[in-house]
Amino acid sequence: MALNPLTVKKLRRFRSIRRGYVSFLVLAGLIVLSLFGELLINSRALAVSYEGRLHFPTYGANLPGTAFGLGYSYETNYRELKKKFEAEGLENWVLLPPFQFNAFENTPYQNVFKPAPPSFMGGPEGHLLGTDTTGRDIFARLFFGFRVAIFFALAFMTLTYVIGISVGCMMGYFGGVFDLIVQRLIEVWSNIPFLYMVIIIFSVIPSTLSIPARVAILLLVMVLFSWTSMTYYMRTATYREKARDYTSAAIVIGAGTGRIIFNHILPNTISTVVTFMPFTIVSAITAVTALDFLGFGLPAPTPSMGELLKQGTQTLTTAPWIVSSAFAALVFILTLVTFIGEAVREAFDPKKFTTYE
Amino acid sequence: MHQVLPSLSWSGRWLLALAGVFFLVGCGKKKEAVVERDNTAEVKAYYAANPDFFRFATPADLPKDLEWENGADLPEIGSPAAKKGGTFYTFLQDYPRTLRHVGPDANGSFRPWLLDDVVVQWAWRHPTKTDVGPKGFHFFSGLASEWAIDKARKTVWVRIERNARWSDGVPITADDMLFAFYFWRSKYIQDPWYNNFYTTNFAGITRYDSHTFSITLPEDRPDMSERVLKLYPQPAHFFKELGDDFLERYQWRAVPTPGAYTILPEDIDKGRSITLTRVKDWWAKDKKNWRYRFNPDKIRFSVIRDTPKSFEAFKKGEIDFFNLSLAEYWYDKLPDSDPLVQSGLVQKNKFYQDFPRPTFGLWMNTNRPLLDNREVRVGIQYATNWQLVIDKFARGDWQRMQTGSDGYGEFTHPTLRSRPFSIEQALESFAKAGFTTRGPDGVLVNTKGERLSFQLTTGYEALKDVLTILREEALKAGVEFRIEVLDGTTAFKKLREKQHDISYTAFSVSPEMYPRYWEDSHSVNAYDNAFLPDGTVNPERKLKTQTNNVTSTALHALDQKIIAYDRSSGAEEMKKLAFEMEEMLYEHAAFSPGQVVPFMRIGSWRWIGYPEDFHLKLGKNFTEWMLFWVDEDKKKETLDARRTGATFPPVIRTYEQYKQKD
Repeated sequence: MALNPLTVKKLRRFRSIRRGYVSFLVLAGLIVLSLFGELLINSRALAVSYEGRLHFPTYGANLPGTAFGLGYSYETNYRELKKKFEAEGLENWVLLPPFQFNAFENTPYQNVFKPAPPSFMGGPEGHLLGTDTTGRDIFARLFFGFRVAIFFALAFMTLTYVIGISVGCMMGYFGGVFDLIVQRLIEVWSNIPFLYMVIIIFSVIPSTLSIPARVAILLLVMVLFSWTSMTYYMRTATYREKARDYTSAAIVIGAGTGRIIFNHILPNTISTVVTFMPFTIVSAITAVTALDFLGFGLPAPTPSMGELLKQGTQTLTTAPWIVSSAFAALVFILTLVTFIGEAVREAFDPKKFTTYE
Repeated sequence: MHQVLPSLSWSGRWLLALAGVFFLVGCGKKKEAVVERDNTAEVKAYYAANPDFFRFATPADLPKDLEWENGADLPEIGSPAAKKGGTFYTFLQDYPRTLRHVGPDANGSFRPWLLDDVVVQWAWRHPTKTDVGPKGFHFFSGLASEWAIDKARKTVWVRIERNARWSDGVPITADDMLFAFYFWRSKYIQDPWYNNFYTTNFAGITRYDSHTFSITLPEDRPDMSERVLKLYPQPAHFFKELGDDFLERYQWRAVPTPGAYTILPEDIDKGRSITLTRVKDWWAKDKKNWRYRFNPDKIRFSVIRDTPKSFEAFKKGEIDFFNLSLAEYWYDKLPDSDPLVQSGLVQKNKFYQDFPRPTFGLWMNTNRPLLDNREVRVGIQYATNWQLVIDKFARGDWQRMQTGSDGYGEFTHPTLRSRPFSIEQALESFAKAGFTTRGPDGVLVNTKGERLSFQLTTGYEALKDVLTILREEALKAGVEFRIEVLDGTTAFKKLREKQHDISYTAFSVSPEMYPRYWEDSHSVNAYDNAFLPDGTVNPERKLKTQTNNVTSTALHALDQKIIAYDRSSGAEEMKKLAFEMEEMLYEHAAFSPGQVVPFMRIGSWRWIGYPEDFHLKLGKNFTEWMLFWVDEDKKKETLDARRTGATFPPVIRTYEQYKQKD
């Protein structure tokens, strides 16, 4: 795809802003890494060689203990399997991922389910950041919580922008009565308190739904009440662009409405949109964290930073590592996104490249 | 008014006048809307229409051979060291939804403070002398100055204390007890449990004079005396306006009480706080067994929804006591080594009680798909690892519950044991129900593709970790629990609406002589017309909501036994029936018995006084029986000490006089 030379210039400028660019690389790296999270942080082994046959349990169906000559039909405990194989000294072997606890298993500490301090603070081995109140690994929960949150935020951003940009451009392009009516509708709509709506809707949706369905509903509800703010910017930008000669030229040639909006006007207004993106991501992550904190977000036991923060505030004095890990992780991610946002804003700043006015 | 008016401008006065007019108009309208009502005639007509139940006699009709008793020889409750006065500060998680005692939403967590713990019944079962005597339990006097029991006539006679008064000053008479039956049986109160209980369990009431009455029962049950003496009257003068609008009309009006505490209208700050105030010149203030209890002048409740937040309020001294029963609080958050404890400012007490415990466990709704299959329920029982919860969550302090009716002494099944955690047996049961293969996530599936997955609801935020543990363990046996943590009131509502799959909950149980089965196991409380006349299942039966049969249990054979049990008069026969029913319920497997917490663990500030032996054998929680007091002098001393850093000897005690030996 041939990029607009202006865009190329903007990208080059973005790359020259070091702080933002590095943040972007780190975040992108984290996102890519999180896609393969199961290979890094998992109680399932990467590979098992048992009686000459190789098994790769990570992504497949769960393998019962009986598959490896153990006496139970539930999922194999690979950490114990590894110890067993090593003790036997036969040819069987187990290759475990670098972090060997998943985000759901409860491991007792001092024989009791209670928070264990991080391994570097004298806690049990293997728990880099310690465990939470029921003995689940905090590092695993943070990592998968990040994955859920970031993809949730990306999906949220895409959806709100698709709706917001379409409606906003239409308002600006058609103008007149249509603009007037939709504006009023948006004013009414955006005055509905979003948090109450989430709480109300979640109290009526049947709890029998699966976790992905509930997450999807949460996403949909959040999108439903957040797309409006984008319309204002797009509306004014479109009004401005519509008055330009190239738009008139397109109309004269006979281009359709859709073509004019999306092929001619949108690329010229995109700089406004791009600068908002990182901040939308920040607000989405914050919103889903806040909802989890309040207990209206992702259903338990989905790993989530908000849920960890909540646990942390309840155990401030007895297990300070919970709140500090969750807080540090959240601040780190939000800072990265904010740095990226700043750089994007600077690189795409219309003032720098606009020749008129 | 004189001082205010001159400072107002003319327009200000105008507004004031206008407001005044609106106020008057408002009042006028209000008067029109709320119709004055007097139901005396209606009540009398009801008595006349039920002459077999409501009987009127003269003192001359009293049998001469009655043995009157008053329990005066029983040991006194409470400590003579108790000090009167002060304000006791505590908290609520949910604001009460109503001040009514009956009807929708009335059975909430605040009701003990409106009724159960603060009412005065005719007489009370003694909380430390708990054995079963020849006439049943031992009672001490409450509203009754004396009473007489006659098994042959199935009747209990009661004489009312001459000076007993409602909190609004009106004397308490036998007419209030007659009215209570009218009230509890009335359709206006919209409470089917009361309607049914007071219709089926009593055969009649006879009024001899304004302070003497008798109540007759349909059968001479072993706990006959208890059934009558634990009743309490209703203020007939207050419920004069009883009608179709009972719910709205009485929603926020404090019911006059024979007890020590009432609620003044100005103390209701909805959503924030509510305060109980000690009745001035309470009629029972010098009465034996009552004089050393109900000590604080005021009891103030603030709403704090979050348990950790209320714990912090306790540590700051804004709340006077805190329930430390959870291991996390007792061992980690307020350990013996905590400076507050070591400096003696906060005292820690562990007290073992002995009575039927709240029935913590998994209540499975047999009306739900898959859960209607007995094998699935049995499998879930084996898949629930309570022992792990007890060992690793409660640090071995809890005990496993064996049946739904533990703690009733001779009436508890002696040999029945709850099912242990066993993956093999769980899988075996699930296999019988057609669940033989595990899906890719390890959850069992049947040939129709249905997954063995259930919603597990609870209203106990503080116990949600229990469910996380159970969930992980159950997955090993191929069953998935989807956890749902709701706030207490919502969860209870969902339960009573029978909207749950499985609920982790507990019903509090009062220390009665023998367990009840009708409420949670009779088909009447599960479905309308559960069975056809020949005993087969009615295909068109409808689920019944708002009852305590939350497992939707409907077994025809069990129904017969429950009826026989509820009509039986022989203790031996009842025991036999109770054991048989317990075995049937075990086979039915809809209730997975969970944990028993055999003690209360209380942290309290130094200014809260309590008797030397801390509490009573039947003491459910710290505030029941109201033995504690607030020592204002010590409070000042303690608060000063906190500022200056002075210390007192630490108090960490365990009371094992009622601990059960294994």
